[in-house]
Amino acid sequence: MTDQKMLTVNVVTPDGSVYEKQTPFVIFKTTLGELGVLPDHIPFLASLAIDEVRVKQSKTDDKFDEIAVGGGFVEFSNNLATVVANSAERKENIDAARAARARKRAEERLEKAKQAHDTDQVKRAEVSLRRAINRLNIAGH
Amino acid sequence: MGASLQEVKRRITSTKKTQQITGAMQMVSTAKLSQIQHQATSYQVYADKIRSVITHLAQSHLLDGNPAATTKTTSDDAHKQEISGLDMLVKRPLKHFGVLVITSDRGLVGSYNSNVIKQTLDLIASGHHTPEDTVIIAVGGTGADFFKKRGFNVAFEYRGVADIPQFRGSRALVRKIVSMYSDGVYDELYVCYNHFVNMLTSEFRSEPLLPISSANLGHDDLASKDSIGLQAEYDMEPSSDAILEVVLPQYAESLIYGAILDAKTSEHASSSTAMKSATDNAKDLISSLQLQFNRARQSAITTEITEITGAQAALE
Repeated sequence: MTDQKMLTVNVVTPDGSVYEKQTPFVIFKTTLGELGVLPDHIPFLASLAIDEVRVKQSKTDDKFDEIAVGGGFVEFSNNLATVVANSAERKENIDAARAARARKRAEERLEKAKQAHDTDQVKRAEVSLRRAINRLNIAGH
Repeated sequence: MGASLQEVKRRITSTKKTQQITGAMQMVSTAKLSQIQHQATSYQVYADKIRSVITHLAQSHLLDGNPAATTKTTSDDAHKQEISGLDMLVKRPLKHFGVLVITSDRGLVGSYNSNVIKQTLDLIASGHHTPEDTVIIAVGGTGADFFKKRGFNVAFEYRGVADIPQFRGSRALVRKIVSMYSDGVYDELYVCYNHFVNMLTSEFRSEPLLPISSANLGHDDLASKDSIGLQAEYDMEPSSDAILEVVLPQYAESLIYGAILDAKTSEHASSSTAMKSATDNAKDLISSLQLQFNRARQSAITTEITEITGAQAALE
């Protein structure tokens, strides 16, 4: 088992690389559902949901690193998974108070947009709300 | 002579103070420059990745072929994204020519602003666009004020870009610019800014930004694909169209953010260079004033001595 293959997960955002790790197993939440990836998977491109990416810490234990991603996509080839997202935060780095404020703001915006029947704004507010809730969920695990 | 001595002395102190200020400003700009360059390198990783993926997708998707009619309907459907992605591939008849001009908010940056503004005007003129059918998006106060005064339609202006713009902070601005395109405020968008070459030089760049076509995916198409090693065969999950829909807005946003970052880098460099030459000029001025001061003092002393000896001679 010692020579078991690993794959590398790299999370990049415009503000730089947030996370990089060798892992035997990673779970992505794509827009279609969960996608577990083991080493030597065939190359793929997938769009990610506003959810978490779970990276197994090592072969032996069952602990996972959790990273909140705000959409984006993942590209996998040659055992390198690159997550390209506009925003991504490791669980440890999430500012729960900030996320809670963001949720409140998004809720207010959503309410306002609904009253104004502005579908475009409603959609935008929903997306920010989802992002905030996602961050809070992951931080609260 | 005495009054002039006083005057020269006053000028020396005042120039010295100015020199101190410009020197401090130079140091501040240099510090900011090195910070922003750090930020730019980390952004580059992201930009390269997204560009290589989109180039790959674009090849299979016939970027500027015929998908206009079909994709239009799908993107209007239920799975419309926050910004409908595939709209960005659709070439529309050019009614409004959009120009995103990135200038600085403050002065004291040498020829930085005039350079951008002048060449932007050239670009507008060369396309035979008039102030009426041109829509200006101004990032930075100087550009906004200039184009407003000239009677251009400034659809959106943004002041107070952070010194080291973070993507998180600029997202609202970037979103706004992309959404104005989907709302039809303009049918084509060019970005005009100063590209940072090195400390002393920056060159003006104007690039087509929207709609995204193979033209603005870049000349380095093939080169970048090889170097990053994207493979030809990918499993698409759920489908290449759905992925494009996610990637395209992200790409447009990253391009705009990249332009802002680049412009800001070059602004810090220009500011640092301008302040350095101001400091050097102050130094020259001080030394010539010092010389003038010494001469004036010497001649005052000489006069005094002549007067004393003259008076002495008259007494004897």
